[in-house]
Amino acid sequence: MSENKKYLFHYKRYGLLRYLSHLETMRMIERVLKRTGVRFEQTQGFHQRMKLSFGQALPTGIIDLSGLFVVSSVRPIGKEFIDLVNSVSPKGFEISNFEEVPKDFKLSRVLNGYEFKMLFIVTPPLDMLETALKVNNIWIVKLYIPFNSSVPKNGEFGQFLTLRSKALFSEVQVDQSIGSR
Amino acid sequence: MNVLKNLVGILDKVQKPSRYIGNEYNAIYKKKANVRLCLVFPDLYDIGMSHFGLHILYDIVNSSDFASCERSYLPWIDMQGLMKENSTPLYSYESYRPLREFDVVGFTLQYEMSYTNVLRALRLSNIPLHNADRSDSDPIIIAGGPCTVNLNPMKRFIDAFLVGDGEEAILEMLDAVRSGTREEKLRKLSTIRGVYVPGFSNKVSRRIVTKMGKAPLAQLVPYTNVVHDRAVVEILRGCTHGCRFCQAGMVYRPVRERSAKEIYDIVSNVVQRTGYEEISLLSLSSADHSQINEIVSLLKNLDDTSVSIPSTRVDAFSVKLANAVSSVRKSGITLAPEAGSQRLRNVINKGINEREIFDALEHARKFGWKRVKLYFMLGLPTETDEDVIEIGEMLKRVKKMGFESVSATLGVFVPKPHTPFQFAEQIKPEEAWRRYKLISWAKRFAKIHFTDPRKALIEGVLSRGSEDTCKVIEMAEERDLVFADWGEMFRPDEWFEVFEECGIKVEEVMSAKTLEYEFPWDFINVGIYKEYLWAEYERALNGILTSDCRESCTKCGVCMNFGVRNVLKGKGKIVPMPN
Repeated sequence: MSENKKYLFHYKRYGLLRYLSHLETMRMIERVLKRTGVRFEQTQGFHQRMKLSFGQALPTGIIDLSGLFVVSSVRPIGKEFIDLVNSVSPKGFEISNFEEVPKDFKLSRVLNGYEFKMLFIVTPPLDMLETALKVNNIWIVKLYIPFNSSVPKNGEFGQFLTLRSKALFSEVQVDQSIGSR
Repeated sequence: MNVLKNLVGILDKVQKPSRYIGNEYNAIYKKKANVRLCLVFPDLYDIGMSHFGLHILYDIVNSSDFASCERSYLPWIDMQGLMKENSTPLYSYESYRPLREFDVVGFTLQYEMSYTNVLRALRLSNIPLHNADRSDSDPIIIAGGPCTVNLNPMKRFIDAFLVGDGEEAILEMLDAVRSGTREEKLRKLSTIRGVYVPGFSNKVSRRIVTKMGKAPLAQLVPYTNVVHDRAVVEILRGCTHGCRFCQAGMVYRPVRERSAKEIYDIVSNVVQRTGYEEISLLSLSSADHSQINEIVSLLKNLDDTSVSIPSTRVDAFSVKLANAVSSVRKSGITLAPEAGSQRLRNVINKGINEREIFDALEHARKFGWKRVKLYFMLGLPTETDEDVIEIGEMLKRVKKMGFESVSATLGVFVPKPHTPFQFAEQIKPEEAWRRYKLISWAKRFAKIHFTDPRKALIEGVLSRGSEDTCKVIEMAEERDLVFADWGEMFRPDEWFEVFEECGIKVEEVMSAKTLEYEFPWDFINVGIYKEYLWAEYERALNGILTSDCRESCTKCGVCMNFGVRNVLKGKGKIVPMPN
């Protein structure tokens, strides 16, 4: 009987790694996972790659504190995997937790959208000013972006930094939370 | 100084910012070192990260107890502009320090068209372009790589050249610059075997490592999709075929192989430390490895890792080999017959006949390859119109074999220094265009891509140039002729204007020469006798083949001059030293 298990991983990508494109992030994660020595399911076909599915793509330049990907391992993995995977990750990438999900789990079915934060060092545009929070000399504007809708680009509204801060789920189809940090 | 703070504002505005961030997995930042070296690949990161030589030196220097090695690459034009606007100098990818703050800055000269990029990198670093203008507060600028076999065109810009293998010499060079004035350092450098210091040295002999050293295992893993985005194991260095046009085949002699077992251990280790899904077997001709069958069967044991063999011969064995390691879709296979007629293939000593070529192609078709790509050169010595037409005939025959698509790339032959064909002339662009037209009828059977003969001519002049060529490089860089190898940046007319303004007589540089002619590179001893090259040239003109030196010594001079020999691992074979 197959011991394959499907997992939803939560990751953070920050520092210089915010300049990675979505494709570059995907490739980096595939290589990080391969370095752990744990075997994950591969795609079928001529050019085999790790079978990974991701949340919504981000434009380059945005700090991601709520990255998501789904992968199936050939054998079950335990909470010690977090330390292992983070020990073979580059600076600026970190798995924060992961959980087992049902075999038919699909991110697109459970992901409602994301919360973004835009940081301004100048006064934000008028239509954002009402909801903006000022902390010291920095204005913080929160935005809710529904899944698969257009994402604010870095600098688009004059903000100096953009963060994807939270993933918002409609229902959490989680079998059991395995590890977090 | 650390430029990281400046970068943050800039990186949001450039194409592919990931090529400027460093911080790759396995990058090493040694905070303390007596001597700090920054190695620069004078081209875009996407190209430079694919160069294995730099990874070898990076590993060696960072494993030493006294020196550190960081890296830098030439930023693309958009990034250069923004760096200038923000007063941000060229920086290293480990500590983000300006290159000017290093003790030594090292360039690798892999192709002549990157010479202007070296000057641009110096300019972006605020380091004086001329070695004569540098003072004690400037870094020592060193350079290595295959182009140093004629270092003249860069002689005024580089403080010390290393000709040949760098594995041992790099640490000796860094040790030599630990202390002292600039002049003392240069004097010490000039005493190291393989090192040429303009103003201090009169001649230089190529440095050779007698056997393959430690391989880099924790290889840098880029984020950007670089040209060769895979792990690398160098399975052998050097080539013994003796193709008469091939500079690498001459200046990397003798052959030095790693054993199959060592290769397997390296590959397993590298895959584990990098997470790469593909590994490339690096060599000038992988099928020549005396244990290649064993290597391929060992590597088949690796899980979820594909193997690629980029350089193979044109024969059935090589195609079988490519088939054996191929886990990817058999979309296209590339073979290089180099010339269309057997007569001309004998002239260049390619050592393959028509039956072998078609045997290779038949195997490729049988194994399921649908597309075939063939490489040829135009303008080889003694080439006639009939030879050119035979390229077309070959393409027609290949198409009829049943391949879905056949394509051919035709480049113009460049007579490179230290090859038997250094005595030959290079055809002019107008003659190249005439010969191209001779096979335009074959476009019915194959997609034919002609490389620009003007680029080949510029490459020829830069590769054969004397010290006078330094003026050309300097003027070309001032006129923004950087990234000259990139299609969108190539402006041939401006190059020819620069040649003219600098008084370079292109026709004379590229004309045929005799044995008595004094080449500007004669003071650089790569090990091969000039008389041997001349004899080989004469044999070429008479269509006489010379055997592979694994079979019998051809007395080229390398083993005799340097006390080395071919190191073959199969059956414990070591080719004996000639008398």
